[in-house]
Amino acid sequence: MTIVSILRWPTPNGLPSPPLVASLCAVLTTMWLTAPLVEVDFVRLLGSLGKMAAFAGQLFVEPDWAYLPQLLVKMLETIEMTFLATMIAVVVSLPLGLLAARNATPHVLVYRLTRDLLSLMRALPELVWALVFVSAVGLGPLPGVMALAFVTIGFMGKFFAEAIEVIDHKPVEGVRAHGAGWLQVRMFAMLPQALPDFVGTVMYILDHNLRAATILGLVGAGGIGYDLVMSMRLFQYDRLLLIALAIYLVVTLLDRLSDLLRSRIIHGARA
Amino acid sequence: MSTISIESVTKRFPNGFEALKGISTDIAAGSFTVILGPSGAGKSTLLRLLNGLETPSDGSVTIDGETLEKATLRKMRSSVAMVFQQFNLVERLSVVTNVLTGRLAHRSWVGSVFYLFRNEDMDIAQETLARVGLTDKAWSRVDKLSGGQQQRVGIARALAQRPKVILADEPVASLDPVASEEIMGLLREICDRDGITVVVNLHQVDLARRFADRIIGMNSGKIVFDGSPKHMTQSVMRTIYQREDIEDDNSLDLALAYA
Repeated sequence: MTIVSILRWPTPNGLPSPPLVASLCAVLTTMWLTAPLVEVDFVRLLGSLGKMAAFAGQLFVEPDWAYLPQLLVKMLETIEMTFLATMIAVVVSLPLGLLAARNATPHVLVYRLTRDLLSLMRALPELVWALVFVSAVGLGPLPGVMALAFVTIGFMGKFFAEAIEVIDHKPVEGVRAHGAGWLQVRMFAMLPQALPDFVGTVMYILDHNLRAATILGLVGAGGIGYDLVMSMRLFQYDRLLLIALAIYLVVTLLDRLSDLLRSRIIHGARA
Repeated sequence: MSTISIESVTKRFPNGFEALKGISTDIAAGSFTVILGPSGAGKSTLLRLLNGLETPSDGSVTIDGETLEKATLRKMRSSVAMVFQQFNLVERLSVVTNVLTGRLAHRSWVGSVFYLFRNEDMDIAQETLARVGLTDKAWSRVDKLSGGQQQRVGIARALAQRPKVILADEPVASLDPVASEEIMGLLREICDRDGITVVVNLHQVDLARRFADRIIGMNSGKIVFDGSPKHMTQSVMRTIYQREDIEDDNSLDLALAYA
């Protein structure tokens, strides 16, 4: 019986592979060299622990219960913006996704153009699009919804296209062989196969959009964001606490809902 | 009267492989034909050509007096159904929806966008499901079914189309012997009762002998035998299944002795 077993990596000579070691060293060196440039300073970080604790301490206040009705209204507006923008994006990105999938597109040129359009839409973050739309249509939730929908179409169109590209070709052939037309093949053979992935993406995006919607108020594009930023600036921690809790609660609930829906789609309704 | 007419068809794939080297034959309406041959002989390619899933490099395929080409493709497919080795069903859809996809050739795309069918389509689907004995599974999802059941869904889908021809590409290769027997019996019964022309690719020589009216033997992209099952002698089988790389014929004889 060996008492000391000698450790080794699963390589021919038992040592880690040189390329792996080299890239690890490269990453660490880069981090060490660039940290001062972006003012990552561990001494300063340690020094500010006290300030952080003080800030956290200020959150232990009695919530401003009088603010609750306004919070509910604003939160509801945020949720409405999220769902509306996501729904618009679903409707628009389904056909765009078909055009942007290599195996479903009518022509390779259409495929390229749609891909480029989608990457343009998601090139800028929601906040920047919101700024654009606020100056275009004015303050309020409308530019917020437009900004969210815009970026979401860019993401979902791409995700959906990729979900279609990895589907099994056999059912497609099966449906095609029975004389189904171009659109019928896409509706009956491609869509059902890509749907679970697509629903998973929608759930993830919904979650992402909710968080994005909470910040759009910053530029006057509706939702809870305005209140969030104002209570930070005015040191109204009794409100901030409620707002943070409300966002956390809604995100968590959404997560539960998405798990439920996704497993139903993948495994089918329990009969 | 012949339904299918194949005239000096060759098929070369882009990689240069010549799967069919000049095939000519006629297949009579209402007949049950089995195509035998080793893997890679071109059986699948031939069958896929008959459905337009492949296009011939040379020669032509005529079905019911109409030549198969791009313009007539969809119309032709509406009278030629196909049954696949791997079933090729849409697993996430219900059994009855899969059967209904057999009706798509007769319906426009407008309703299909909303998954809408006509009542008479549903009647046809239910009737063909009853035919293959799966009425009670109509609303199950396909991936909950066994292989034999899935292949029966495949046949129901083919029947729902109201085809003149059913092509079956190794329909029993993924099935156990009992399910294989059922599927072949079903295809034979469809041929006899509905007068539908059936063409089946098979690897099982005994099934070919028992179910076929006519056997076509293929090897290396050519027809090497064409006749009734009773003319399938041991030497014919050796012709069909011979390979260049087999030096001594013992293994061939041994394999065929039990076929």
